[in-house]
Amino acid sequence: MAVLIMMRRLFIIWNKLGSIHLTVILCLLLAVDLTCGYVCLNRRTTLFAPLNDIGLAAWIDTYGRYNLAYTAWFFILLGLLTLLCVNTFVCTTDHVAALMRTRALFSFHRLFFKFAPHVMHYALIVILSGYLSSYLFAQVLDTRTLVPGASMTLPDTKARINFEDFDPVYYRSDRLPAFRDRVLRPRARLLLTDGDRRRAAVLTANRPVNFKGYGIFLKDFAPKEKEGGMDRRIRIDMSIRKDPGVRFYMAGMLLFTAGLVMYLVEWFFFRKVKKEAL
Amino acid sequence: MELINAQFVFKIAAGLYGLSLVAAFLPGRPRGVVWIFLLPALLANFAAVALRYWQAWPMLPMYLGPVALPFFLGLLLLFSSRKDGNDVIVRRMIFALTVIIALAAACFPKDFYLPFLKSCTPLAHLFFVFGVAGKGCFLVGAVWAMAGLHPNHRTLGIESQTALNRSLRWTVWGFSFWTLSMFAGELWSYLGWGTPVVWDDPAITTAMATWFFYICLLHLHLTGSWSARGRGAYAAAGALVILGLNCLPDLGPFRWPF
Repeated sequence: MAVLIMMRRLFIIWNKLGSIHLTVILCLLLAVDLTCGYVCLNRRTTLFAPLNDIGLAAWIDTYGRYNLAYTAWFFILLGLLTLLCVNTFVCTTDHVAALMRTRALFSFHRLFFKFAPHVMHYALIVILSGYLSSYLFAQVLDTRTLVPGASMTLPDTKARINFEDFDPVYYRSDRLPAFRDRVLRPRARLLLTDGDRRRAAVLTANRPVNFKGYGIFLKDFAPKEKEGGMDRRIRIDMSIRKDPGVRFYMAGMLLFTAGLVMYLVEWFFFRKVKKEAL
Repeated sequence: MELINAQFVFKIAAGLYGLSLVAAFLPGRPRGVVWIFLLPALLANFAAVALRYWQAWPMLPMYLGPVALPFFLGLLLLFSSRKDGNDVIVRRMIFALTVIIALAAACFPKDFYLPFLKSCTPLAHLFFVFGVAGKGCFLVGAVWAMAGLHPNHRTLGIESQTALNRSLRWTVWGFSFWTLSMFAGELWSYLGWGTPVVWDDPAITTAMATWFFYICLLHLHLTGSWSARGRGAYAAAGALVILGLNCLPDLGPFRWPF
């Protein structure tokens, strides 16, 4: 009897958590909270920038706790997003189960496109989980500086990164004289060694190098100009991160985009809404 | 080429948009007169956007949204010619919105340039283009919702339900573009900084707020708890969200345009 009562209560909680009305309320609260976040974040971005380097737990313990007037919206955001994830999961799982039960009523392609919103919903959960694991578990190494010929070893591995050469592309045009001969594309040639295996790679801005599960990003470099300037010694500063969340949120974005395309196809080709122009 | 100032060209475009709006209100629906002003306005607007890009190269002009948005709205007006003309009120409202945004961009210009090192990826540009398309579609959706809520919508030749359906359709397009813009921004953030969110720009929060605002609207159509008019009012309020949260931060201090 007690088990039955428990089951019944769980069923009620499950239904309440999966309510679409809850989705609406959560989305509205999220929109309001994020708008407050804009006000708090504006001109105080330095409070939040360390989140990317020290991770969520350390940030909460330092910047977060001691600046509550400006960070409270972020804590509320975390709570609302957690609730939204639970709500999305329950609601979508219920709908997918119902769709599977009634699958005989639809043709294959009609059924396929009916899954579109559910693909997007699951994708959202994957993206948010990816972000969370990124901020909780990413291992961020202190900025590593290398000069040509120098090398470094990745932690807990025998893998080495050797900075071979700096081969930048300069701005050649005369249109903006102040930019003449400034570096447009800093290209650092690396040799990545793991035991007997060797691989050459080019590290540049917006093009990180992946090696042994680590992402290697170009953070800064010198010199910035072909001639002149104070800092003439060649060097690269690298930001190196082992981020388990990246694959999740990348996969989530891909999945969400696929769901969005399916949704648009379903919307414009299958729904009985009269096609009209603007 | 250096002598041609992008801001000056844009002011010409804003003036031409204003003349198109006046022409749109002339009696007898003189479509030809409207096009006489709209086409050169679009050309001037396109030239202003292209010049800003070209003159800033190798940097990326960050606050180009209010300059590019009137162009997108103008393009929608250009490619949406209808023969029955029962959407004339909607077209006038979009014209008015285009002129308001263009005037705001002309009087409150904001210049900030991101170094090429950070913007040398197609994702930076996709982020911008999809963002502008998203804002444009959301605004058109809001205008259709306003038309559906208009007390004299029948005398204006607009069926309320049809208008709300069109509003929803534009909202769906807006949501799609907005999502793609956010994803492009997140990928750019990862490639450039190695993190999913760059906290240096507070606009990330308003972009997300807008996203959730429209997710709410799309879900409202499923609940049945709000009446069609209620949903229409919510969709119409989307114009305030877009203008207040996404266009206003892109404007700078007032500068006398002449």
